[in-house]
Amino acid sequence: MRRHRLLPWEYGVRNLLRRPIRSVLTLGALSTVILLVFVVVGFIRGLERSLAVSGDPSVVLVYSLGAEQNIENSAIPGRTPALLTASLDGMQERFGIPHVSPELYMGTRVRTGETNTTGLGLVRGVTRTAPLVRRGVRLTEGTWPGPGELIVGKLVAAKLGCDPTDLAVDREIVFEGRTWRISGRFSANGAAFESEMWCRLADLRQTLKRQDLSLVAILLGSGASVADVELFCKERTDLELQALGETAYYQSLQRHYKPMRLLAWAVVFLVAGAGVFAGLNMMYGAVAGRVREIATLQAVGYRRYAILVSIVQEGTLLAAAGSLVAGAAAVLLINGIAVRFTMGAFALRIDGVALLMGASVGLLLGIVGALPPAIKALRLPVAESLKAI
Amino acid sequence: MKKECLYLFGCGVIAFSLLGCSEGQNEPPSAAADPSGQESSYVVDTEPPGALAVGAARKTVEDEEEVVLVGRVGGSANPFVNGIAAFTIVDLKVPHCPDHEGCPTPWDYCCKQDQVKENIAMIKLVDQQGKLVTEDARQVLGVEPLDAVVIHGKAKRDETGNLALLADQVFIRE
Repeated sequence: MRRHRLLPWEYGVRNLLRRPIRSVLTLGALSTVILLVFVVVGFIRGLERSLAVSGDPSVVLVYSLGAEQNIENSAIPGRTPALLTASLDGMQERFGIPHVSPELYMGTRVRTGETNTTGLGLVRGVTRTAPLVRRGVRLTEGTWPGPGELIVGKLVAAKLGCDPTDLAVDREIVFEGRTWRISGRFSANGAAFESEMWCRLADLRQTLKRQDLSLVAILLGSGASVADVELFCKERTDLELQALGETAYYQSLQRHYKPMRLLAWAVVFLVAGAGVFAGLNMMYGAVAGRVREIATLQAVGYRRYAILVSIVQEGTLLAAAGSLVAGAAAVLLINGIAVRFTMGAFALRIDGVALLMGASVGLLLGIVGALPPAIKALRLPVAESLKAI
Repeated sequence: MKKECLYLFGCGVIAFSLLGCSEGQNEPPSAAADPSGQESSYVVDTEPPGALAVGAARKTVEDEEEVVLVGRVGGSANPFVNGIAAFTIVDLKVPHCPDHEGCPTPWDYCCKQDQVKENIAMIKLVDQQGKLVTEDARQVLGVEPLDAVVIHGKAKRDETGNLALLADQVFIRE
């Protein structure tokens, strides 16, 4: 049985240390490319997670027929919650309180801070039953809003593009010609609500001079299903309502953003491709300066395969180190950064999938970046290579 | 030796792949997926006589009256209720979105929504005990949006004039 004798593992490691500046520069370039990949994948994962966790499988949304996925355009009669409560069985109820949340949802210009920074904010008028239905929402600071007050989600500053200190408790903001005091802050486990401001439904109705609602959110009890609410809405054609499970609603939004996610993945491949070319460029330069060394190894008796493996090992080792550096930077610096988006804001997410993607791209850069220059160097005749400068 | 090992490994992978494919072919066809709906006891071969248009029925039909309705499956972007054999039909006289406009969901009648409200009925399939069939109507009947259907059943009216039909026979027009 023929066995290929490989170069010692330490040979590749010592080679990297023999040219420290070149190795550090290559490491820096690879780390930058892989960090870019982490940023883009973190963007995709953050967007996907925001939409995924925003949907509660036990919540059904009732809104107007024809509004489709644009709940801002929905307008349903103010009596709808009472009608639904009276007509539907199967909604969750505790201590005689049906878990039904009437809501008025809108986007509007919001002014914050002493510099009157203006941004497009999302406001939801709710009642005290909202936390019963939106179970992921938690007050993290302050109190539930009273008259003329509101609470802000933890990503509202990113959404508005303002200084987070402008949204501290007891600060004031202005929208729809009225000043609102911030009474508290809330989080929602990464859901889309975190980029919203919640105020009392009565206050928002009064401010907007509207009596209708955007939607009614219902928490279903055990044994009930979205189909029951759907059936009611389709039977009562006079009400012109439609019902959709909240998870289905956010899934439809996911589909809506699919082109953007595909574009982002394309950017990942382009960045990785750019990294491969950068790596190739560096490795060509590195190998070009070692032609005599490689020829010497062949003259001594090492086969081309063994030398090839050693060069690829060096590239992969550098790339793996780059992946570690970039991964650490991504987890420590990028993870959790809020990004403003059309539908609100979400946090970049460097999760297991992102780390796997980034590390895989890194290793691929190392292998693919080292192969062509190594093959090129090994093709040269040994006698000529030994005479190379 | 290494080459032989690789060769054997490759053969093993191919063999397992073929085994998986052949097992998939031996699986019995899914009982739930019957797109033609021919085996459903609700689908009849001959059109029930005396079909009333939905618009006319909304004006004349009384609660609990036996009636035959004719209409087209549609009325919203999703006229079916998921998980229940229920769907809406619209009077044939109401035109749906024409093909040349390229509307992805012509059965939502978005061009003529003002006419739909007075020309729509809810169809619910019920079993012999009068309970709703808890299976998607598309699976049970093999209907699709914009299919013209003639349905026999018992009318249910509410105080606001909405018309629902507890159906026991469905005929799908070609």
